[in-house]
Amino acid sequence: MSVAHDTDTFYIEIWAWLVGLLAIGTAAVFLPIPKLAALLVVFAVAIVKAVLVIRNYMHLKAEHLMIYLIAAIPALLILIMAIALLPDIAFRR
Amino acid sequence: MEAELELSLRPRTPAHQPVTDSLTEIPTGKLGLWVFLAGEIMIFGGMIACFILLRIAAGGWASDAAHVDWQIGTLNTLVLLTSSLTMILALAAVRADRRSAVKLYLGLTVALGLLFLVVKGYEYAGHFAEGYTPLSGMFWSFYYLMTGLHALHVTGGIVVNFVLLMMAIRGTLWEGGQGRVEFAGLYWHFVDVVWIFLFPLLYLSLKLT
Repeated sequence: MSVAHDTDTFYIEIWAWLVGLLAIGTAAVFLPIPKLAALLVVFAVAIVKAVLVIRNYMHLKAEHLMIYLIAAIPALLILIMAIALLPDIAFRR
Repeated sequence: MEAELELSLRPRTPAHQPVTDSLTEIPTGKLGLWVFLAGEIMIFGGMIACFILLRIAAGGWASDAAHVDWQIGTLNTLVLLTSSLTMILALAAVRADRRSAVKLYLGLTVALGLLFLVVKGYEYAGHFAEGYTPLSGMFWSFYYLMTGLHALHVTGGIVVNFVLLMMAIRGTLWEGGQGRVEFAGLYWHFVDVVWIFLFPLLYLSLKLT
């Protein structure tokens, strides 16, 4: 079996996982489970899907540390902004 | 003297070899693209963070979100995930020098991107017919802003992929083509990742509140 064929098969497997996770995330909304649990499932599935795409399709798993830093720093800044604003916005009376 | 000048002006990197950053050895094109994507993370991340914070602050929005069709959203997510697959298969094909496969996969990526926009347009038309415009409330402002900006990014990706497809058809893609398809792919997958978060945020989560 050729290397090219193996690579294609791997990418198709990742796509199958993504589609399966899409089905799980969507079904969670309609399952008879507590709403908070369903919400957690929906976003946990979204994070796993994003990680699958970033690691395998964007090849971040094989990238230089510099690329990780370039991608992580803005995400971290957004997180800090959200956490900093949360008390003012969410708990104002 | 002239020979020295010619020598100094000659590119130090051989033709079709990617120019790399001297410190990290990362191709400068890739480095530049990731810096661009970092800016995009700030834009979409900022909007998503504001959506979540204002949703916590304002409450509600569920009655508005009930008008957003989760089935159409699921279909469009499937379309975009599949287009990510065809894009990465195009890169694998260009690396293996399978030229007809590159054309096929780039063509499929463009077609799926267009299908995404058609479905989104159909969705927008339905909302407007019901009277839901960007001015209909906070939820709709966010909805149109985030999905509209995302659709613009999809459009940009379609244009880039179409240009690559034309180059592949005309036979001008193959010298240095690996880098071009890789960078276009990085952008396209990023657009996919943004939608992976927009879909549960706009179509699913508010059904649970």
